[in-house]
Amino acid sequence: MTPHSDTEFDAHIRKLMAWHFGEDTGSPFWLGKKGRLGFDPLTDITGLADLARFPDVSEELRTVPAQRLIPRGLAGRPFRVYDSGGTTGAPKRIVDSGYRSTLLEWARERLIASGVPGDGNWLHLGPSGPHVIGFDVSRYAALGGGVFYTVDLDPRWVKHLLGAGRTDEADDYVQHLLDQAETILESQDIAVLNTTPPLLEAICARPKLHARIRDGVRAIIWAGTSISAESLRQLDEVFFPGQAVVGIYGNSLMGVAPQRPAAPGDPYPCVFEPYPVTTRLELVDDEGALVPYGERGRVRLHLVAEEMFLPNILERDSAVRLAPGPGSVVDGLADVQTYTALDGVRIIEGVY
Amino acid sequence: MGTPTPTPAPAPITVDPYICGRTTASADRTRLPSVLGGDLADIGNAPRLLALAALNEIRTHADGRAPATEIFTEAARLFATATLEGETPQEYVLRVSHATGLTAAAMDQAVRDLVAEIGELPETTAAELPGTRFGEGFGTRWVPRGRVFAAVMASNHPVPNVSWVQALFHGYSVLVKPGSRDPFTPRRLIAALLAAGLEPAKVAFLPCAHAVGDFLLREADRGIIYGGARAVAQWQDRESVAVRGPGRTKALLDQDLDDSVVDHLALSASFDGGTRCTNLSAVLTTRPVGEVADRLAERLGRLPSLPATEDEATLLVVDRARAEQIREQVAALRAQLTDHSVGFDSGDPVVELDDGSFLPRPVVLSADRADHPAVGTELPFPFVIVAPWTDADGVAPLRESLVLNVLTDREELVDEAVREPSVRKVTRGTVLPWTAVPGIPHDDNYTQFLLEPKGMVAQR
Repeated sequence: MTPHSDTEFDAHIRKLMAWHFGEDTGSPFWLGKKGRLGFDPLTDITGLADLARFPDVSEELRTVPAQRLIPRGLAGRPFRVYDSGGTTGAPKRIVDSGYRSTLLEWARERLIASGVPGDGNWLHLGPSGPHVIGFDVSRYAALGGGVFYTVDLDPRWVKHLLGAGRTDEADDYVQHLLDQAETILESQDIAVLNTTPPLLEAICARPKLHARIRDGVRAIIWAGTSISAESLRQLDEVFFPGQAVVGIYGNSLMGVAPQRPAAPGDPYPCVFEPYPVTTRLELVDDEGALVPYGERGRVRLHLVAEEMFLPNILERDSAVRLAPGPGSVVDGLADVQTYTALDGVRIIEGVY
Repeated sequence: MGTPTPTPAPAPITVDPYICGRTTASADRTRLPSVLGGDLADIGNAPRLLALAALNEIRTHADGRAPATEIFTEAARLFATATLEGETPQEYVLRVSHATGLTAAAMDQAVRDLVAEIGELPETTAAELPGTRFGEGFGTRWVPRGRVFAAVMASNHPVPNVSWVQALFHGYSVLVKPGSRDPFTPRRLIAALLAAGLEPAKVAFLPCAHAVGDFLLREADRGIIYGGARAVAQWQDRESVAVRGPGRTKALLDQDLDDSVVDHLALSASFDGGTRCTNLSAVLTTRPVGEVADRLAERLGRLPSLPATEDEATLLVVDRARAEQIREQVAALRAQLTDHSVGFDSGDPVVELDDGSFLPRPVVLSADRADHPAVGTELPFPFVIVAPWTDADGVAPLRESLVLNVLTDREELVDEAVREPSVRKVTRGTVLPWTAVPGIPHDDNYTQFLLEPKGMVAQR
């Protein structure tokens, strides 16, 4: 049985403490920290509330050799390395063998519940390469028996251009991406488009491409950057009124948190939920305490999976905390925005 | 008259995008602060997609036909006198005064100027276009250079809103991004135009972020942008965009100072609280710099610190946050130049008033050379840098001026100033920089920016 409730999640945590800090099973990365934590993860960490005792190791993921992240207990399996987008500096790395696929099976069910077709071909207008999103979308397509089309996008180049004030070149690059998407859309049957809010804005500004997607694609998934409430309404009601417009919150470290099916009376049109089996997203104030429901807090991630253990990570985002939806045990996140003051680093969202 | 009656703050209102006659309540909200503290309005902002939807809708209906002239004269009358969208003229004036810090007197003058300039549009047009009859059968029609016009406004003063009204007058369909502190003027002007009979499909009002304003300027056929040096920089060389950046209005003082000249320079710097791009910000002089700066500082130092609503008030007020910015800016400039105001004023560049607003005091500084990098600095209140000028400096320090006021007997110098491309207008003697009649260019020929000549040859 999979852990869902906090009690079950606490049991899951205790089980994985033994795994990640067991000499034969843990990763060199975590085993190397064990003696310097100031507590014993095997006996002192008994549940969710204790995860905040761990140091935030996300900065180290920029430099640690990725091999040291692989748990010894999984040594025989093939692993891949994925990079984050590098929005706040050098990219952070994660390793994945099979976990991501399990997560995506769950995520796909959530997407279908929000109106995304279970079959058909997918076009991913977004990053591939070292970025895990490219793998994610190809997986959704494969799970539904569809073909996966992609336009390669280098988000770091866009951020570089924007950071240098070369906005005209960034615009040219966006048009270059749209040209490629148009070529695919003109000859191939696409059921689902996965892209980012800035690229959707650029698509809407190209009448022919917009019409092709509005008339030929069944669902649009946006992810990767924040979007304002009014922009979302414009997408939903004005530009793509006949399509499902569905959001996914996520990044390389936490995985994906798709939009939960809309409930009557939801104060926000789009509310995200993480994978309850392995992930908790807490919205916290400056002191690290949970904010009340309805209030905005900074996102704090706990990922407790067999392949990766990432506790107590402060993300670059803020969101409004909402009570769990019907049948769920995890809080919802609404109106995700980039957290502004991040140690003086200028955050450039770019087109991804 | 003169009895200080406390003016109640206008009740906060909701301002939303207004597209082709419909108000579109936006889900993206921001608050507009009052200079007295608290909020004046709850603003619905247009994100890029809403601006794009507005642009698409406007473009569909744009036909380049000029509305009837009477619509504009009637709209000007309604703007000044009618209750529009539930707002009386008095409430409008108070609202803009509380949002921008312009005095009540400046606002009354602004309304009169707006009415006058809109009424003069036919005259201005005639004065800015050459004759079009070339004998029987031959003629020139002046037609809009495009269909859709975007206006990115600032909040320093209401009168520049005439620029997009003029585009409408010539047949453009117009999208207006209001200044962030003054959405009220374009909102009221649009209400007046619609009440006077303007086709609703001709106009959209879109409070929005700078980036969305940039998007509108890129997409429109023609446009105008008002703003600081950074806001306008990327549009400087774009043929389709008229740029109204910092004015850097200067005076060349090459005669002895008497009281009338000091009064003239002080008024040039302080009229409308120093918010106009035509307010004087630099004096270059052949006379002793310290003496000129002292006399100007003394004269400006006499202006009283009064709440904007009082009849005698002439200086701009700002809110607490802007007051802090101004303190920092002035401190940085004082550190590199000689301060003359300190001897004639309170010493604190910003005075806190009883009503909760903050009043930046006039500042006069002097530099030791004409090419000092600070010369040309513009701040949104009476702020003047005095610097020495000699024949050897030549015309270089006079460049990049919206208006150059020359007080000299040297004809050659006047001629050279007029021929200098980066000097946009020359006034001679004690003439205030914004003095004009219809047809006198403010910065190039705006009518010809909007219209192009098209040959029409008909068979006789």
